[in-house]
Amino acid sequence: MNGSIVRVILGNILKIAASFLLLPLVIAIGYGESGWKYFLITMLIGWAVGILLTIRKPKTTVFYLKEGCAATALSWIVMSLLGCLPFYLSGEIPSFIDALFETVSGFTTTGASILPDVEALSHGMLFWRSFTHWIGGMGVLVFMLAIIPMSGGSNINLMRAESPGPSVGKLVPKMRTTARTLYLIYFGLTIAEFLILLIGGMPWFDAITSALGTAGTGGFGIKGDSFASYAPHLQVTVTIFMILFGINFNAYYFILVGNFKDAFKMEEVRAYLLIILGSSVLIFVNIMHSVKGVWEALNQATFQVASIITTTGYATADFDQWNQLSKFLLFLLMFCGACAGSTGGGIKVSRFLIVGKSVKKELGSYVHPRSVKKIQMDDKPIEHDVMRSVNVYFATFMAVYVISVILVSIEGYSFGTNLSAVAATINNIGPGFELVGPTCNFGFFNPFSKVVLIFDMLAGRLELFPMLILLYPAIWRSRVRKLMIQN
Amino acid sequence: MFQKTNKQPSGGLKIIIVGCGKVGSTLLEELSKEGHELSIIDQRSERIMEMTNMYDILGICGNGASYSVQKEAGIENADLVIAVTDSDELNLLCCTIAKRVGNCATIARVRTPDYSKEVGYLRDKLGLAMIINPELEAAKEASHVLFLPTALEVNSFAHGQAEMVKFKVPAGNELIDMSIAHLGRHITNEILICAVEREGEVYIPSGNFILREGDVVSFVSNRKVAREFLHKIGFETRRVKNCLIVGGGRAAYYLAKELLRGGIRVTIIERDFKRCEELSVQLPKAVVINGDGTDKELLKEAGIEEAEAFVALTGIDEENILLTLHAKKVSNAKVVTKINRITFTEVIDNLDLGSVIYPKYITSEAIIAYVRARKASKCSNVETLYHMFNHRVEAIEFKAQEESAVTNIAFKDMHLKKDLLVACIARKGSVIIPSGDDCILPGDTVMIVTRHTGFNELTDIMA
Repeated sequence: MNGSIVRVILGNILKIAASFLLLPLVIAIGYGESGWKYFLITMLIGWAVGILLTIRKPKTTVFYLKEGCAATALSWIVMSLLGCLPFYLSGEIPSFIDALFETVSGFTTTGASILPDVEALSHGMLFWRSFTHWIGGMGVLVFMLAIIPMSGGSNINLMRAESPGPSVGKLVPKMRTTARTLYLIYFGLTIAEFLILLIGGMPWFDAITSALGTAGTGGFGIKGDSFASYAPHLQVTVTIFMILFGINFNAYYFILVGNFKDAFKMEEVRAYLLIILGSSVLIFVNIMHSVKGVWEALNQATFQVASIITTTGYATADFDQWNQLSKFLLFLLMFCGACAGSTGGGIKVSRFLIVGKSVKKELGSYVHPRSVKKIQMDDKPIEHDVMRSVNVYFATFMAVYVISVILVSIEGYSFGTNLSAVAATINNIGPGFELVGPTCNFGFFNPFSKVVLIFDMLAGRLELFPMLILLYPAIWRSRVRKLMIQN
Repeated sequence: MFQKTNKQPSGGLKIIIVGCGKVGSTLLEELSKEGHELSIIDQRSERIMEMTNMYDILGICGNGASYSVQKEAGIENADLVIAVTDSDELNLLCCTIAKRVGNCATIARVRTPDYSKEVGYLRDKLGLAMIINPELEAAKEASHVLFLPTALEVNSFAHGQAEMVKFKVPAGNELIDMSIAHLGRHITNEILICAVEREGEVYIPSGNFILREGDVVSFVSNRKVAREFLHKIGFETRRVKNCLIVGGGRAAYYLAKELLRGGIRVTIIERDFKRCEELSVQLPKAVVINGDGTDKELLKEAGIEEAEAFVALTGIDEENILLTLHAKKVSNAKVVTKINRITFTEVIDNLDLGSVIYPKYITSEAIIAYVRARKASKCSNVETLYHMFNHRVEAIEFKAQEESAVTNIAFKDMHLKKDLLVACIARKGSVIIPSGDDCILPGDTVMIVTRHTGFNELTDIMA
């Protein structure tokens, strides 16, 4: 493995992450809080380590998929370690593993919290918590690609490792322009939501943290009851923006360049909207009697569906109290996830579409055993490699899920708690059911379970393989051998 | 880190390449180095995958002649479309459609002799910017070498008025231990040595550079002087009398035609009988032998031992290399090898094969010269470009069309970049080897040899 390029990428990521801390620093100073110095310390640490790592030029700038994956996974780990320092140093989250859990939950846009009382946190820390969602939503490596010129085309391996979806492509020939365009769309939509919420009468701090949380499909709220106490029109606004951020960003690019036909023809986006519509209607009918007011029921149903399918994790109702049917539907939506190429998590609608189509093809081959049919999406045949990777993804996902549930079950909490806790973290949602329901938090787990869940969050955000490859010995073999020779 | 870096590859062209074979991928490599925005179209998805993993480009899988595929690749904003698929017809169709849809410049590869006679007509009628024929170019390069067999490589500039000749200094030659300045004073001052390769290093020599045995020297002069100079330092300079070609592909046809026109006897060995018949019709003066060129006895029978030149043009690189090595062993022939695919140039250089021709590089050089010319402003234009010594040195020919910062100033008053040489100036039919008192005038063709890469304009030579 080309270790030097990985080192330089890690250094650059640290510098970027440290620079992002400038915003919460300003907020903390603005509110006159004492927390600003912890942001400053963390920033200095990040820059110092970053400069140390990048001071020596890499031997070669060429890197392959394995370096891309390893660099991505390590970047996310290093970034989380840096990002949790303000919480830990300031003592607002006294345990280190809790601080790390909270930060990973932020960067991976999960939104699962260990805090029993969110409102006790200072403004600077609250802002940093929400801001991590925004950074993690589009991905910090994509950000790096947008601002740091890198030679060669191999940097697509970085984007491939970080961006969700079965096949990652570029919008325009240049990687850098692609990354910039994505961030431009992302930034524009976030600002739009912020302004609309502000006009709708939300206090500006609430508006900005909500916008950041929605944009990354994260879900950290700044209130104990998440979104329940806001006015209905604000909830509807957030519902709409959650759905928008769950759409494949390619669609926005098509709209941006005036190609409306392709934007509305995207099969995945259609399926995604249909799923939202269908499950909203089902849940609405199911909870109509238990909630007073038809509009309230409709609002609650759509908000929860949008929140879960986009893997945001805001809540306006304690859906743990709902009927079994609604609860189970939400549980399924957790796995469904948003579109590929969006900021959402989960398995992704496109993978389900591909699998659904291959099941249909399989059935067809029972009727006409010699029939030949190539599976298509958006009028383009799906390559065998993509098919294979989708199948493997499902198998791996189930394996990681099951192993995680087993490991978490050691602690002995209820069945539903364990199942939904792992589902809510691996799919980057946040709240689950029973003990980890929308009104509760993850604080009660022991450190071991928290480490398992931290791994799940990272694995879920990076789509499993970049994280798993770190556990694969062949990646490290040459490094280890080199170390042994040196000693 | 957040400061804006304006050093983004300034204003790269938007180029679409259709077809991702040998030439296509060489073009990708070269053009992406020069910072252009590239899209590729190919039918084979695995090929696209490979290329997008290697270079910063957009890959589209589909038929390059289809309007919707071209649109997906961004034809509306494209500056240039280069069609280099296997099929001449598809290439022409791609370019014709691209021209209509995108109003961009187009370059097509057309290889079949049927069309190559009509290149001028096709280009004008279809509105193409350029038609390239790698086989023809390769054959031309081979024939240059055969007309001057002591040279390893002969490149022509300024429409053939000036030549750049590469040769190796043999043991016992009078050039050994001679400084460049001494050579200029005592042998001839009408040539300019512009690059010397020694033990894998390339030097752009100054006056006190001393030549050694085994140096590979490139010099520039006009055609006649080049021959006189080589003769003076003890080289044989007459052209070869006969030539044995193994492999009867398109390149062999073009080469044989060129050689026959120059009065050189040609024998072609080709394995396929039908192809032999075709060749015998197209080239009535040539001797066409049907047989396996790798058969030692057959080669003997065809007269390899008496041949003055031996050219290996089969489609298999390994076969060409072995044939050349064999020919060197059994005869004193001047050998030329064609390498299509292999990228192990370091290994090939060590084999001492003599002259090696890479059709894919010849093609990409021509296209890159065109691309650079398009990128440049009006006042100067890249006419031709050669990569020398494995891309470490570029020889570029500029046309100075208008007054600019470099015209009408004597070279001694000009501040030139390091590692750069103004090799010659072609002015009104004569070739001038410039001294410090000379200057560039509008209308001149100026040849620059440099270790820098990416020169677009003549003004780039100034520091």
